[in-house]
Amino acid sequence: MTANHNELLSALVDGELQGKELELALNLIHTNDDARSQWQRFQRTSDIMHGHSLSLDNIDLTTLLSQRLSQEPIYSSASDDKTAKIFTFTKPIWKQAASLAVAASIGALAVVGVMNKPENQLIPITTQVAAVETTAAPIITAQNSKRWTVSEQDVEHRLDTYLVDHNEYTGASGVFSYARVVSYDEGQ
Amino acid sequence: MKFVWQTILACSLLVNVTAHAENDVDKTLETLGLVAKQLNYDGIFSFQAGNKVQSIRIIHYADRQVEIERLISLNGVTREVIRTNDMVTCVYPEGKPVQENHRPLGRGFPTDLLRRLHAASDYYHMSEGLEERVANHHTHELVLQPIDNYRYGYILKVDKDSQLLLQATLINEVGDALETFAFSSVEMNIDIPKQLLEAEIQGNEMTWNRKEQMERRHTIAMGQKTSPWKLVWLPEGFELVTQKSRFKAMNGAPVEQRVYSDGLSSISVFFEKIRAQHGHLHGRSFKGIVNAFGTIINNHFVTIVGEVPAMTVEKVATSIQYIDGENQ
Repeated sequence: MTANHNELLSALVDGELQGKELELALNLIHTNDDARSQWQRFQRTSDIMHGHSLSLDNIDLTTLLSQRLSQEPIYSSASDDKTAKIFTFTKPIWKQAASLAVAASIGALAVVGVMNKPENQLIPITTQVAAVETTAAPIITAQNSKRWTVSEQDVEHRLDTYLVDHNEYTGASGVFSYARVVSYDEGQ
Repeated sequence: MKFVWQTILACSLLVNVTAHAENDVDKTLETLGLVAKQLNYDGIFSFQAGNKVQSIRIIHYADRQVEIERLISLNGVTREVIRTNDMVTCVYPEGKPVQENHRPLGRGFPTDLLRRLHAASDYYHMSEGLEERVANHHTHELVLQPIDNYRYGYILKVDKDSQLLLQATLINEVGDALETFAFSSVEMNIDIPKQLLEAEIQGNEMTWNRKEQMERRHTIAMGQKTSPWKLVWLPEGFELVTQKSRFKAMNGAPVEQRVYSDGLSSISVFFEKIRAQHGHLHGRSFKGIVNAFGTIINNHFVTIVGEVPAMTVEKVATSIQYIDGENQ
C-alpha cells in the first residue's frame, strides 16, 4: 500500500473517481487484501462522520480490555501500600472476566469472520469457546440464522433487498415462500 | 353437488394413478396437484425453520370459478394473506406499516408443490417411502433426492385419500431437515362459509395481481437488450426464468436481476453497477437456508442469492463472465 493508493481509495469512498481512476481503484480493492481492508476502514469512517451508522460489531473492545488487563500488575495481599486501599478481585473472578472477554471477542470475530467463509469458520470457533470454559451464546448456524452473517448493516440491508426481490420471483418455485411470508416477523 | 363432482374427479384421477404405476410418478404428481387445488379444507399447519416454529391456519375454497386461500398467522405478529385466484391481499395490523417488500408471491401454498414437481422431475430421483399418519390422515411418502449436491431435496407426505400434501420437509445433502411444514389438523371436503374467507383483522391492506405482474415482467424481459453477462456454469436443469432491470431506491444504481430455476430450486443473480459509498458482500453469507455469494466483476457488484447449498451460489458466481457486445 502506498500513499497514492490511500489517496485513490479515499477518493473512491468520496465518490470522486471516474473512468480509468475508478477502474484502477476497483481493481485494487479486488486484488489487494490490504487495499480492501483500508477501503472498508475509509467507508466506515465516512459513514460515522456522516452519521449513517456506528457499527459496534467492528469495535472489539473486549480483546483490547483483555490484553490491557493481562498487562496490569498483579496485586497480592503481600502488597505493602499504606497510602491507598486497593480493592482486589479474587483470582476466580479475574479468570471468569478474562474468559468472558475472550469469549465475547471470539463472538465478534465469528460475526466478522463469517463474511467470507461462514461455514468453515464456525466449527473451530465453537471449539475455541468451549476450550476457555465460558457460557457464550450459541454460535449461529445455517439452520437458525435469522440475519445475514455479515457485520455491516448496509450490506445486510442490501442482501435483504436482494432476498425480497428473489422471493418475489421465486414464489413460483420456492416451496415454502407462503409460509415464510406469513410467519415473517419484525426480526426478519 | 360440489362434493360429488370433486369425488368423481378424485376417483378418476386415482384410477389414473394406479394405471400408470410407479414408472409414471411425474405425470401422476401433476394430476394429484390439480386434485388438491379443487379441495375445500380448513386446517392448521406448523412451519419450522431452524429453531423457530410458526402456526398458520389455512382455509382453502374452490369451485368452478374461483379459488380462495386464506392464511392466518396464529402466533407472533398478526397477519393474514388472502389469495383469490391471482389477486393476493396482505393484511397487517392497524398501526403497523405495510411491508411492501414482503410480498408472498406464491402460486398457492401448499397445494402448488405437487404440480411443480412435474416440471422438476428430471433433476430429482423420486421414490416412494413409508406410509405414515399425519394430522390423523394416512399418507404415503415421496422422497425427492436431487441428482446432485447443488440443490436441496424434499420429503413429502401426501394424504392417501385426498392427495393433499400434508407434510413437506426440505433436506440438505446429508439428509438434515432445513425447513418443515406439517399439518397438525385438517378437515377436508367441508362447506366453507363465506365469512371464513374474509380477513378478520382490521389494518393496513396491500393487494396486487400476480397475473398482471407476471405479464408485466414478461413484457419487460422481452423488451430488454441482450445482457452483457454470461453464466458459464449453472446446475443441470437451471434455466433462465425471468430477468429485469431497475433502479434501486437506495442509491439509484441500476440493478439487473436474473432468476434461474429447475422448477423447484432457484437462484437470483444480481448485477449492480458500483458506485461510491457502497457496502457489499464479498464472499459467502447466509440467512436461514438462503445462501449468498458476492464478488466484483467489471465494475459491478455481483451477488447470487438462493435457497440452494452454499457451494452452488459460489460456483455460479465464479463462472460469471462479462461479455459486453457479444450475444450469449
